[in-house]
Amino acid sequence: MNSPNNVSSPEPVASSMLRMPKNRASMDNHSMISSTSTLPYRASNPSVSSLFASTTTPTGSRSSSPIGGVRSRMTGSVFGGTPGDGQQMAPAEQPGDPRNLILQAFVPHIAVHTSIDTHELLRDKGIEGGLWELLRPFGERVQGKVNVRDSIGAGKTWDDFSVRFVQLGDGLEPPELPRKSEDGIGLTGNGEKPDGKSTSQRSRTGGNIPQIESLVDRHLTHAEDFPGMNGAGAEDYLNFKEGLNQNLDTSSPFYTLYLRRLLSGFPLMPHETFSHPVACVIAISSRNTNPIDALRTLYQESKLGPRRFPIWVDSEYLRYYVLVHDEERDDITKSIALFEQMKKHFGLHCHLLRLRSSNCVSTDDDSFRMPRCEWVSASEELADIKSREVLEDFENSYPCIYESDMTAIKTFIREMVTQSVIPSMERCVSTWNDQVASRRRGIGGRFMSLSKRWTGFGGSSRNSTGGSSGSNSNYDAVQGYYLPNTPEAIMRKLADYAFMLRDWKLAQSTYDLLRSDFNNDKAWRYHAAANEMAAISTLLIPQTLSPKVRAETIEQMLETASYSYLTRCGASYGAFRCLALGMELLRLRGGSATEDAAKWGSKLLEYKVAGPIGEALLKERISICYASKKGAGSGLWGARTRKSAMWSIYAADAWLTLKKIQQSRLRLDEAIAKYDTLPNKDSLAQFTHANNYLQALQKAVQRASYPESAVEGPGAVDDLIDTSIEESESFTSWPHRRSLMGASLESAPLQRALADVKDEATPSLQFE
Amino acid sequence: MSYYFAIIGTSDNPIFEYEFGTAKAGGDGVPRFPEQARHMNQFIVNASLDNVEDVQWGGGQMYLKKIDRYYNNYISAFITGSNTKFLLLHHPTTPSTTSTRASTSIPANPTSPQTEEAIKQFFVEVYENWLKTVMNPFYTQGMRIDSPVFRGRVAAAGRKYL
Repeated sequence: MNSPNNVSSPEPVASSMLRMPKNRASMDNHSMISSTSTLPYRASNPSVSSLFASTTTPTGSRSSSPIGGVRSRMTGSVFGGTPGDGQQMAPAEQPGDPRNLILQAFVPHIAVHTSIDTHELLRDKGIEGGLWELLRPFGERVQGKVNVRDSIGAGKTWDDFSVRFVQLGDGLEPPELPRKSEDGIGLTGNGEKPDGKSTSQRSRTGGNIPQIESLVDRHLTHAEDFPGMNGAGAEDYLNFKEGLNQNLDTSSPFYTLYLRRLLSGFPLMPHETFSHPVACVIAISSRNTNPIDALRTLYQESKLGPRRFPIWVDSEYLRYYVLVHDEERDDITKSIALFEQMKKHFGLHCHLLRLRSSNCVSTDDDSFRMPRCEWVSASEELADIKSREVLEDFENSYPCIYESDMTAIKTFIREMVTQSVIPSMERCVSTWNDQVASRRRGIGGRFMSLSKRWTGFGGSSRNSTGGSSGSNSNYDAVQGYYLPNTPEAIMRKLADYAFMLRDWKLAQSTYDLLRSDFNNDKAWRYHAAANEMAAISTLLIPQTLSPKVRAETIEQMLETASYSYLTRCGASYGAFRCLALGMELLRLRGGSATEDAAKWGSKLLEYKVAGPIGEALLKERISICYASKKGAGSGLWGARTRKSAMWSIYAADAWLTLKKIQQSRLRLDEAIAKYDTLPNKDSLAQFTHANNYLQALQKAVQRASYPESAVEGPGAVDDLIDTSIEESESFTSWPHRRSLMGASLESAPLQRALADVKDEATPSLQFE
Repeated sequence: MSYYFAIIGTSDNPIFEYEFGTAKAGGDGVPRFPEQARHMNQFIVNASLDNVEDVQWGGGQMYLKKIDRYYNNYISAFITGSNTKFLLLHHPTTPSTTSTRASTSIPANPTSPQTEEAIKQFFVEVYENWLKTVMNPFYTQGMRIDSPVFRGRVAAAGRKYL
């Protein structure tokens, strides 16, 4: 599963280099088109439009599957088909594949803490944010293959391992909170203005659904205004008419973006440890006059100083010491001597990173554009788009980097990940597994938890104390967390580490143990999160799940998780993430699991956790869920073509109300193509109301997308339209309505009047 | 509870449609679908044909019970020997009006065994009437049934059981 562009490491850079001229070329094409329509937002220079590349370029192939991994299959209900016949999970190829997204989203977080002089060095290089900003894009793809040992000692090789570099203290403050006093995390001896820092840091925390909405809206608006931007890929995507089956797994780029932003920048929370640091890079530069002491101070700061984490974060994580050597100003022999000294003091977790300190511009010989980060939070990307729109000089707007620097960074990250981070995680997993989890798993552990419960009964008034933080519970119900040294917290951490190392089996069994513990302690947020991750890791294990087992485990877990998240904690973000991922993973299982996937999708709609854009995307997704159930035999019995088409129509309607005409048209074309594959193509036409509705929708979309040609009508659609359509017409709110009025025949005002009258009579079409 | 009953012919075309409300528990037999449910019901029923095609081969029964659900709309199905399908969409009214005994009463609880049984009786009665109608020498297969007598009989069966 090594597609050729996986192996070549400078691929993202190269492709982004290629993108620039293409942008400029297509700008010329579209300048004429865009002049006719008014642009809703400001100057869109190529540097802005390349920000939208994640949704306008086709998704390249990228493999995530372990080498030699066995994919699961499952048997469907009636038309399950023979095992192995279309039931096997296809290998995850596209980055839009949900498994791939999960693999890339739940990755170890590495905090970066640097001295002032390092910060200055990087500012000289033109990187404002500091070392972490330089490292971050490269952490998203660790070069080469990474070997990870699971709990039973079997090694597995992954070629898409990634880590997330964050600034020490990122993710602590939820971004929607009003600005607290600046004494929180902003002020340090880091040589930065506290004000700008804390806001930017706050914007790096994800998990904010409204912001994801507005970001995706931004992308959609861009796609509406520049259909076919960025070359052939977008052309392919936006104009595909047939080949529904081939395109099933390529989800809409907007949905992928939505999911990715949903999974970006996990807030630092007690109930899950994904965003807790696995390691901390402590860096000084060769400009430092008192290096060893500086390193010690930085270490102390990260442990005790103002930058330490809250008490529910385990502070015993790996420290990795880095000496950033300035190639242009400083003497390498001195740095090497210093580095030897560092090794003597701090052990093996050290690295000498040689960087050039001068600012690299794109005209330099060996300059490369910095690869863009894929996993930034929605608010950060929004801010990025906004700042670039204002920018005039788009040529220089991208930071560049020397090739030698890039190689050095890649080597550094690879060395750190493979030689320090992963081994230390493996060690933690095995230690905790031996010391804590296996004790719980054995017979004694069962008795322990039993007796715990029994003393609870014996104590009679234990529950009535309300706090439930009685003598035998480690849960601090008032504050709502477990301390990091309690067995529950350690086990959660163990499970999360195992999950990040992609040892799904160990993760799943540990989450499973935790579910009952948290339930007993009434730690609802923990309970919800453990259920969520148990469901996800169960679905990730490549093994067959019979519908019965699935109903007993997955359904139960997802149900409990969403209930706990929503009703007990009011955490809609958690519920959204959990159900969206559950839905995606169930869909991949094929067969009758797609039905469940669609069910969870409609549940998600019912819970109303997403905004309007998310709902439209979900409707689209439910349609795809139904479509991914393959029928059997010549009649395609057991397929869900009609359901899929129905949801496509809903999605089309939702997009139309959001004025995303392109999307609406696509969904409608999809729906009609789906009805055409049925043995009785025109069966829906006989249902009068439904048919009228569908045609009215078609007409509305037609008008909105081609205002001038709608009156003449391109035959095929016009033939179908009869007079009864006017009755159900209540789409008066599309944007091009006015232009249509201007160009239309004399009957148009009459139509308008009729529609206006009907407006009062028929409420706007809404699906409920 | 409001009902939408449709008979679907062999080429997936509706040959008979009828909307009615419950006559039990003081209901007046008038359907209370919102306006936009008109087309929604048809979409839902059309889409649930997928499920009928899936389950119709699973057992030898003509009554397929509840086969599909769309939010608060439940769809029960009955399939005849000639592959004509009876589909009944039932949409319970909002639970604000329900009393304590509502849990077993047919209009309030679409999932109870009582409802299932009542729908079966309804289907069987409609099936008998439908047989008599389609045996009419002037009726060809797949034609719309617009006999007022048949409509009246379906209405009577609805009043009687649902």
